[in-house]
Amino acid sequence: MIGKLAWKNIWFKPLNTILSILLLTASVAIITVLILVEKQFEEKYQSNLDGVDLVLGAQGSPLQLVLSSVYQVDDPTGNISYDSVKVWMKHPYVKKAIPLAYGDNYVGFKIVGTTPDYIEKYQATMAEGNVFEHNFEVVVGADVAEKLNLNIGDRFKGTHGSAAEGEVHEHGEYVVVGIASKTGKVIDNLILSNIPTVWQMHHVESHEEGHEEVSENPAHGEEGHVHHEDEAVAENPAHGEPGHVHDEHEATAENPAHGEEGHVHDEHETDMTIDEPNMEITSVLIEFKNKMGVFMWPTLIAQNTKMQAALPTYQMNRVFDMFGVGINALKYLAFGIMLISGISIFIALFNTLKERKAEFALMRVNGAKRRQLLMVVLYESILLCLVGYLFGTILGRVGIVLLSQASESDFKLGFNPMEIIWEKEGVLFGLTLLVGLIAALIPAIKAYTLNISKTLANA
Amino acid sequence: MISTKNITFSYNKDQTFIMPDLFCQAGNTILVTGNSGKGKTTYLHILAGLLQPNSGEIMIDNKEITHLKGSKADKFRGKNIGVVFQKSHFIASLSVLENLEMASWLASGKKHTKRAKELLHKLDISEQAHKLPNQLSVGQQQRVSIARALINEPKVLLADEPTSSLDDKNADNVIELLETLSKEYKTALIIVTHDSRIKEKFTNQITMV
Repeated sequence: MIGKLAWKNIWFKPLNTILSILLLTASVAIITVLILVEKQFEEKYQSNLDGVDLVLGAQGSPLQLVLSSVYQVDDPTGNISYDSVKVWMKHPYVKKAIPLAYGDNYVGFKIVGTTPDYIEKYQATMAEGNVFEHNFEVVVGADVAEKLNLNIGDRFKGTHGSAAEGEVHEHGEYVVVGIASKTGKVIDNLILSNIPTVWQMHHVESHEEGHEEVSENPAHGEEGHVHHEDEAVAENPAHGEPGHVHDEHEATAENPAHGEEGHVHDEHETDMTIDEPNMEITSVLIEFKNKMGVFMWPTLIAQNTKMQAALPTYQMNRVFDMFGVGINALKYLAFGIMLISGISIFIALFNTLKERKAEFALMRVNGAKRRQLLMVVLYESILLCLVGYLFGTILGRVGIVLLSQASESDFKLGFNPMEIIWEKEGVLFGLTLLVGLIAALIPAIKAYTLNISKTLANA
Repeated sequence: MISTKNITFSYNKDQTFIMPDLFCQAGNTILVTGNSGKGKTTYLHILAGLLQPNSGEIMIDNKEITHLKGSKADKFRGKNIGVVFQKSHFIASLSVLENLEMASWLASGKKHTKRAKELLHKLDISEQAHKLPNQLSVGQQQRVSIARALINEPKVLLADEPTSSLDDKNADNVIELLETLSKEYKTALIIVTHDSRIKEKFTNQITMV
């Protein structure tokens, strides 16, 4: 009955109630979003870091190198010579070195040349089919397979670069030979092949250079194509000149007749191997046997090579530090709103208490105990907080669904709105109730100590 | 049945009220009259157990109530004493019927919905049962107050100026209801008033001076 009375009382003044609930909902929603996003974000970023002590790549921003190589979110810093990095990959400190070569995408999903170790690093298994063995065979991540509805044996053509709108490679089709199990990590959104596949698709040079030269000088297309048919492009150092070799992509694209030939050639004549000299890759993920490497390699690499060694843990901590400022600011804002909602509840209760003095006195005449009046006031406040919390945690999750849709398309990073982080959300719940309790304290005590006779005589 | 002996009360040292003794059988009515400031309402509050007298005793159904404290006093009051005030107060957010149910629940822990409906029917306000109290006219509100005072079938019914805010017709009506119902429920009825319209109707009168 007391609970029912409290419930009826809070809806007797709907505007006060709605204001208080609205404020509570807003603050709880913001904090819920922050709690879930922060945790899932860090979890995702942490799990992708497992087994990566250091990233070797082209010089440039170390953060960019880490983001592109470990998290697949940024563009790579450039390419490095596979011949020179091979030496480091065999260094006695190294436990495992996973090379990565970027080039193409398929409707926005990156196609990454690597070794089967990469799949192992993410603890992915083959849900269907096998790991790639030959050139142009690919393993697709779980999310890619699901979203694009890819099955074993499906063939597709890659698009140049990292944007889905890029130019399509008309020659060379990828064949799906395996589908990886879902891991919740970046690998779910990748298409993996071996490294020679990437080389063969692009031949020797970096894309941008070749690309531009082609558009400036279409005449070379024919020449490039001839080279191509001569095969052994990479084996012949003379052809290693920028643009020259790359031209035939353009030529083929413009000239479908030749495309057929190129295709045949790719698949049957000269499959490149990992031992191809003078080739380039994008980066190498290093796991050390001897953790001293973490301290020694950055200097060692910088002094002796044209590459850089970036420490992903250090770089990501920098990112979290930067994010942390923003997240904390939002948290303070949310707690501020919660404080205001507490004050709003207090004012509402305090004002109605004046009007309800006679009502309370009458309840006492009817046999109500002091404690029961105290409970009515406390219940009212706590009910408001419960409703506010309920709406807030729902609204927060709706927010995460929307956020997730945006980040999914931009970063291939989804958030799970259904996850409940009992510990932190429990604290938030407790805090919400505490706000209600404190807001109701003074009005409740006033109700408790109400002088019935005086109230009724003056009313 | 209610009786009092030698009750004194003071709000401060300067003024002490000496309350007249009274004795009222179940089903009878006593009118307590007197001018303003003579302590009529104070007396009623003492009888209701809302104020503690300095001395004296109050017996309700052979039970001494001045020594009851805290929640025991609340419980006794809820069960045995019904009060009708000059101005009706209700729980504004509850309907008429829910107000009655609340009154019986606070006293006995049971809602007594059936009894509440019967009372409303007797007082001819059944149709207002699901309205909020402030949607009723003053006369109707006073009748709901009477219903609420009687819901727990108390031993004593106290009425504090029950007619002063009512017109002649409603005042007659209320007095008649109070009288017949207190007889029906075997309740001792004590009316505190300075309303001359009532004084003519009762012979049992105590005047406070």
